[in-house]
Amino acid sequence: MRTGYRPRTFVRELVMIVVAIAFLFPVYALVTLAFKDSTQVANKPLSLPDPPSVSNFGEAWQSASLGSALLNSTVITVSSVVILIVLGSLAAYFLARTASRLSYSLYILFLVGIILPFQLGMIPLYQLVNDLGLLGTYQGMILFYSGIQLPFTVFLYTGFIRSLPADYTNAALIDGASHLQAFGYVIFPLLRPITGTVLILNAVFIWNDFFTPLLYLGGSGHETVPVRVFAFVNEYTSNYGLVAAGLVLAALPILLVFLILQRYVIRGFSSGLKG
Amino acid sequence: MALDQSVSRRRLLQLMGGAAAVGTLAACGGNSGSSSSSGGQLKVIGVGDQEAGLRKALDEYKKAHSDFDFNLSFAPADQVQTALRTQLAGGNAPDIHVVYPGNGSAMSMAQLSKANLLTDLSDQSWTQKIPTGFKGAFQNDGKTYIFSPGSSMLGAIYNKKAFATAGVEPPTTWSELLAVCEKLKAKGIVPIALGAQTPWITQLIPYALVPGTVYAKTPDFDDKMIAGQASFADSGWVDAMDKYLELQKKGFFNANPNGTTYEQATSLVGTGKAGMAVQVSAVLPAFRKASPSPDDLGMFPFPATDVAADNWIPGGVVVGIAISAKSKKADQARKFFEYCGQPDTLSAWAEAVACVPLYSDGEPKVDPVLKPFLPYLKDNKAVPFMDQRWPNAEVQPTHFAVVQELLGGKTTVQDALKKMDEAYRKTA
Amino acid sequence: MTTVTAAVGRGAAKATRRRGGIAPPWYFAAPALIVYALVMLYPAIAGAGSAFTDWSGVGDQRSFVGLENFKQLFSDDQAIGALRNTLFLTVAIVVVQNGIGLLLALGVHTTIKSRMALRVVFFAPVVVSPVMVSFLWKYVYNPAPDAGLNAALNAIGLGSLRQDWLGNPSLAIWSVAFTVIWQCAGYSMVIFLAGLEGVPQELHESAMVDGAGTVARFRHITWPLLAPAVTINVMLSTVGGLTLFTQIIAMTNGGPGYATDTLSTVLYKQAFVYGKFGYSTAVALVLAIFVAAVSFIQIGYLRSRETTA
Repeated sequence: MRTGYRPRTFVRELVMIVVAIAFLFPVYALVTLAFKDSTQVANKPLSLPDPPSVSNFGEAWQSASLGSALLNSTVITVSSVVILIVLGSLAAYFLARTASRLSYSLYILFLVGIILPFQLGMIPLYQLVNDLGLLGTYQGMILFYSGIQLPFTVFLYTGFIRSLPADYTNAALIDGASHLQAFGYVIFPLLRPITGTVLILNAVFIWNDFFTPLLYLGGSGHETVPVRVFAFVNEYTSNYGLVAAGLVLAALPILLVFLILQRYVIRGFSSGLKG
Repeated sequence: MALDQSVSRRRLLQLMGGAAAVGTLAACGGNSGSSSSSGGQLKVIGVGDQEAGLRKALDEYKKAHSDFDFNLSFAPADQVQTALRTQLAGGNAPDIHVVYPGNGSAMSMAQLSKANLLTDLSDQSWTQKIPTGFKGAFQNDGKTYIFSPGSSMLGAIYNKKAFATAGVEPPTTWSELLAVCEKLKAKGIVPIALGAQTPWITQLIPYALVPGTVYAKTPDFDDKMIAGQASFADSGWVDAMDKYLELQKKGFFNANPNGTTYEQATSLVGTGKAGMAVQVSAVLPAFRKASPSPDDLGMFPFPATDVAADNWIPGGVVVGIAISAKSKKADQARKFFEYCGQPDTLSAWAEAVACVPLYSDGEPKVDPVLKPFLPYLKDNKAVPFMDQRWPNAEVQPTHFAVVQELLGGKTTVQDALKKMDEAYRKTA
Repeated sequence: MTTVTAAVGRGAAKATRRRGGIAPPWYFAAPALIVYALVMLYPAIAGAGSAFTDWSGVGDQRSFVGLENFKQLFSDDQAIGALRNTLFLTVAIVVVQNGIGLLLALGVHTTIKSRMALRVVFFAPVVVSPVMVSFLWKYVYNPAPDAGLNAALNAIGLGSLRQDWLGNPSLAIWSVAFTVIWQCAGYSMVIFLAGLEGVPQELHESAMVDGAGTVARFRHITWPLLAPAVTINVMLSTVGGLTLFTQIIAMTNGGPGYATDTLSTVLYKQAFVYGKFGYSTAVALVLAIFVAAVSFIQIGYLRSRETTA
């Protein structure tokens, strides 16, 4: 199989490249559209823009206020992920290392959260966030994500910790370290592979989430990127070039991060569920 | 459940919320979200269609009252359903918010006032001037809960240049309409633009036709429906739906109406690629924006039958505003509403959204394109939009869905109307 | 595979390995439990309570109606149609997405020079927001003959295949499914790739010595060893399909007619459009139980297949 580059390999390569080109067609349509003014959009929908115009981008950036949306998304995503990692790893460590009926029941309780449809608690949760005075704030969203993504995070960490030998911490504890010190200095560094996975999966989910930020942040000035894009597309819907430029700009940051960290991201997604 | 102890729960939560806020502040480097402190501002949420009028009224009022300030935001119609309803449910309603007149949708005056969510406006002076025929749109149990600047006319918005190219004039009977469409089509112009992918567009043609096919013969059709003595499936609605499909069968719509959006259809008419679209006058500003020469757009009543006397028109109270029953600034809001009800404010708002003012002293000042509709109003040949008297929020979305199914060839007129009857009979 | 195993195979793990060491104190789990209870458990229980009421979603009026909402659910044409659509979409997505994902994985798990670049290309849509992907495809599905996919078909001489992709009730559900598949096939691919990397090269080499062809080697060596990857992929895409929401709301809003309504869009519309919050939470409860049941059956079946294979 992996024994050199033969004519058959070349054919295979060609086939895969053709598949990739077909796969990328929607992206081509979108990106070229973004560089066209309205007459080009109407007359030459699929050709390369000639001449390319970049005015759509400036206008889209302004109208959708993407700059502040990026800041909002970053603050919410980073804070939520940090909280998830801290709370999730601590809880999972307890669940994985305590062989009692209670810890098993707690573990099952957390797993239930993975399948609960969020619509079930939507209105009571909204009332709660409102009572807390956190509606329209970063804190409200961070609290929401810290809760909603915990089951999955605990699930990943618990599985991983169970596969680690217990001896390290015992040694540290015998040396007089506190439980928290033992966890922080000995266990947590050992969790690095799964922490990477937790970080990537949660960050992608939170960055892209749409419905709850629409409910909680709409009109607050703290809207995340998908919410701003949604409003923007609805407002300029028949101005294809402008809408396309907005979509390209909004997708670009996460795609750039993905390209830079592609190896880790792909590993995170593929290994996360394998433990 | 815990709802009974909401007071103590709320206090507990506030303490916890404070703790959570401190925690996250540290985590995110001091970025605070402080939008919840609205200060002395009235929070106002409107729907996109009313922007032109509402913003103007608020701005003018603020200029005259230095102690008044507001925070205004607008949402597209579907977002009003989610964001605003969640806020109402969460007890976080804005002081003033959009409400649809009459009954028939979850955000309608009747449904919301029934849930005790709106402030009674009956003591305001302008409520005395609501024409009798419109009272059902404004009042529930004899109390007024909504302010609306007036009524929107439903008819055909047409492109005069396209009509001139085909050498046709606005028709006054159904047969003339078919002839006009035929001539437009012969010139390569789409006769009627239809963006039925956008749900609310689907209802417009039936609304344009049933005043002629149903209400001209049975003016008390809605009362009979409520009494259970009539049904959609056994009424002039059949005729209206048949005509809808006749227009499709003759190729008078753009290709693929179910895949075409409202915005695409608007731009077809604006640019003259299509001759007309059946629409409410309130969206005229959008059509004018889509047209290189806005003065080319006109309106005419869409004829439903061949008997000119039977061609009544649909004219409905446009989307309005109400004061939340839970507003802490209701006094200020009431004063603003009183201001909105004054003749000058009212007619300025009405003009901005191309509708006929709720009342006027003397000849109403209206957008000139609405002139052809005024005689019908005078002769009492205008019927409110049908959904405003439907008893629950399910008939209208059912109507949207069955029209898409009809256009997609997935159902028959009889089955479609039976589905609407079923939805109608469900309790509110 | 160990984590899915861990979820169901506690007994086995306990028997084979003593969880040695000094147990961490309870307060390690406390903060997580508090946040979880506050954000998920309490609202879900409070919400589920309204499934037995006729609450409209706003106002204070609500009365207990027992199982009325559930009775209504099983005689509601719209809900039953939505269930049918949900199942159709789920099956289509599970089969096609994983089929394509497997082919892509086999395609790039070779010595071709572009393999790393191709992985990045096929995986990229996974990290983009579903809302934006839906808007992208809504443009691609533009019904006008000279735009998007229709224009592309015309350009390559297949103009007769031009369609009203989202407007034709028979086609719309496929168009929605395809959008999801386009976005997620790369996800299936990387999970299959991880599985393929675990297939020992020596097995293939010895099979080749025995004269086994490509197809035979795939059937007898690769496929059985991919079983854990199949389990994960099938489970992920099943749950994704059963709860599909954002793409539908952004592309078709459940239309034309009811052609693309799913359980998720129906419960959303019941709550926010029809003003029937009680009924809506009844639909949500049934959906939750349904997803749980399907997941457990799948785990049971696919795990047994893994061990017998």
